Amino acid sequence: MHPIARFARAAIAAPALALALPAAAQTETAPSAAELAAEIEALKSEYETRIQALESQLGDLEAKSEAEAAAPPPAQAPAPASRTASDNAFNPAIGVVLDGRLANYSEDGPVEIPGFQVGHHGERGGEGFALGHSEIVMSSNVDDKFFGNLTLGLGSHDGATELEIEEAFIQTLPGAGLPDGLRIKAGRALWTFGYLNELHAHADDFADRPLPYRTYLDGHYNDDGAEFAWVLPSDLYAEIGGGAFRGDDTPFAGSKNGLGAWSAWARLGGDIGRNSSWRIGGYVLTGEATGRGGGHDDHGHGENGEDEHGHDECEEENGHGADECEEENGEDEHGHDECEEEHGHGADECEEENGEDEHGEEEREHDHDHGDDFAEVFSGGAFTGDTRLWGVDFRYIWAPTGNARESELILQGEYFRSDEDGTYELGTVDSHRLDGSSWGWYAQAVYRFMPRWRIGARYARLHPPSAARLGHDPWAASLMADWTNSEFGRIRLQYNREELSAGATDNQFLLQYVMSLGAHAAHTF
Amino acid sequence: MKLIPAAALAAAAGLAWAAVAPPAAAQVRIFACEPEWAALAEEIAGEDADVWSATHGREDAHYVRARPSLLARVRRADLLICAGADLEVGWLPVLLQRGAPAGVQPGRTGHLMAADHVEVLDRPETLDRAQGDLHPGGNPHVHLDPRNIPIIAAELTARLARIDPAGAEGYRARLAAFRDRWAAALAGWSARAARLAGMTAVVHHEAWIYLFDWAGLVRAAALEPLPSVPPTPGHLRTVLQRMEQSPAEVIVRSPLAPTDAAEWLSGKTGIPIVELPFTVGGSEEASDLFSLFDSTLALLEGVSGSP
Repeated sequence: MHPIARFARAAIAAPALALALPAAAQTETAPSAAELAAEIEALKSEYETRIQALESQLGDLEAKSEAEAAAPPPAQAPAPASRTASDNAFNPAIGVVLDGRLANYSEDGPVEIPGFQVGHHGERGGEGFALGHSEIVMSSNVDDKFFGNLTLGLGSHDGATELEIEEAFIQTLPGAGLPDGLRIKAGRALWTFGYLNELHAHADDFADRPLPYRTYLDGHYNDDGAEFAWVLPSDLYAEIGGGAFRGDDTPFAGSKNGLGAWSAWARLGGDIGRNSSWRIGGYVLTGEATGRGGGHDDHGHGENGEDEHGHDECEEENGHGADECEEENGEDEHGHDECEEEHGHGADECEEENGEDEHGEEEREHDHDHGDDFAEVFSGGAFTGDTRLWGVDFRYIWAPTGNARESELILQGEYFRSDEDGTYELGTVDSHRLDGSSWGWYAQAVYRFMPRWRIGARYARLHPPSAARLGHDPWAASLMADWTNSEFGRIRLQYNREELSAGATDNQFLLQYVMSLGAHAAHTF
Repeated sequence: MKLIPAAALAAAAGLAWAAVAPPAAAQVRIFACEPEWAALAEEIAGEDADVWSATHGREDAHYVRARPSLLARVRRADLLICAGADLEVGWLPVLLQRGAPAGVQPGRTGHLMAADHVEVLDRPETLDRAQGDLHPGGNPHVHLDPRNIPIIAAELTARLARIDPAGAEGYRARLAAFRDRWAAALAGWSARAARLAGMTAVVHHEAWIYLFDWAGLVRAAALEPLPSVPPTPGHLRTVLQRMEQSPAEVIVRSPLAPTDAAEWLSGKTGIPIVELPFTVGGSEEASDLFSLFDSTLALLEGVSGSP
């Protein structure tokens, strides 16, 4: 609808109605029946002409707008005549998220999760005062067919400021001419997998991501790629989708041809009565990893690729002398030196073993007198092979009084299972073939008991691959309370008790703020 | 190996298809964001439409989540009717982007925002979130001025006639009947409102401005210090001081507003509290738009002592 036409219509109609009706209301005496009848008649004829005018105007406008197929009208208010269109009028919506925290941990030093690789998004945050992930979000409709979004993440890691492109995607709009309910997103995005992956970490109900996200997705999966999603035309909510990705972000790495992973998913959801709703989903994400680094390696985009390269050459050149291999691995934390010293093998033996291990079986490893190294090879080694992640999630929201703002209970859980078939290599010597599974899950409840106050509890558990022979399932339990002053600001206190390695219990206290500036945040389900 | 996800996808698609209802009847599907607009749509569209309200009368339409059922409903909607003026800003854009058809996107015939078609009050002159959760488009609760209802009804009729030309005659006929009944009722309400004019009231949230503007009521104070910021002890003490100096006649709250602040003030001052329905379904009496205004006026008359 053209704003000027809208304004003109309102201008015609409003005074007539305003005059007709409350004139009598302003006096203390009740209007007579005759006066009322006259008013009603006046109103009727007024409406009659108005509606005819409306319909013809609407017809004209519709024809015009369909012919132009232009972008929706940008302004709500009628534009003043003096207004000059400047480029700024079309600036994208800009939002900034500030996240800061104060943390205290009872366990010192870097905390590993034995049997699992943890990248730096999955690591425990820094102790003391620390900035979390600050974000700058810019988004806007590109035109009538596309929407674009850029989300930059700013973080500090080991004293250096890191700028990360968290999301940079375009997405089709309903005007793009695709079938109803279908949309396509391309670029880099927080792709659909489970419940939390699509959300930015600041929107989480807890200060840290649950264990399965930390180990399997290094916080989140935001590879480069493209995804479609289709909402089915059903009364029950049903949506299916799938995507193809580069295969460079955890759980994948070292994409060979830039098309190394893909996904498929389906979701169902609906309401139960007037005050509660639910959603369930099933997901699969599958692809190849080449030298996915573990331990303290950086999982950043691109960096893995280079890492890989080194490993690949080393593997390929196994026939060459050990010295070359050693050189290649010089940068690796677990280099060849370690192999020589710890195992007391000569370089030649080392090379031999390496060759055998490639084709060896799990039992072969057992002959080493390694002890903890089974776990070490899974958490610190580099993985090459096929990896497939399955996910199931559910979420249920209940507003006891019907007014979610007043009180609301949210139950949520996810289960991930990882099937891997490949080789974990630690340095050049300690390699381990794995064809097995591990899994992890979490369940949480968050309850808003007053408009501004919420409390929550979460339990998460991991089950390492049986080949790691750990005999301990890492677990974490969390309690949180948060205070939400407005839709734009929240302060949270959280307590975690984690036992990631057998016998090493870490008590963590986290105080966090999350504040957003600018564009209004969406209320996701 | 790649067969497994493909099979999963096929199974998911099959499951989803199974969930698809039998082919929808050729009814116009109307998605109303709030119950007052659902009630209006039912008046105009009658049996020719499938009207569904995203929220109910005891729900705050600003704080709704973009929940799965809303997405499924908006997916097949032919027309959206909402308050507009950013009331639904937290969730409607998400729905529109994720699954709504082109015909209900902003600027199209199927996208009707009530606040775009009437005079909006309380448009802020400056925008700063330190002023609370302001709606840059003005106060969105336009349905509480009964003079606005026929304007939106006419707009809705014109749009329905465009979307469903076969039913156009029916929509126009129902509009004609509705506006006759409304005009008669409005004349009566205006007379009753005239006797309430000048009544002073403390409100909980700035939700009543259109009602007060029409009926001539005077807003003496608000329990919320800033729009959508819950009452604070400091602010309540200020309100109490003012009420002790010049007491208001009534404390008005909606079914959504928490009771504690109103009850505290009432306990200190003896000013009666009246819970007005605010929208259709906000009370048992307010079952449609007519009874919404009838019962609202009756509740205010009960406090003021006028007949």
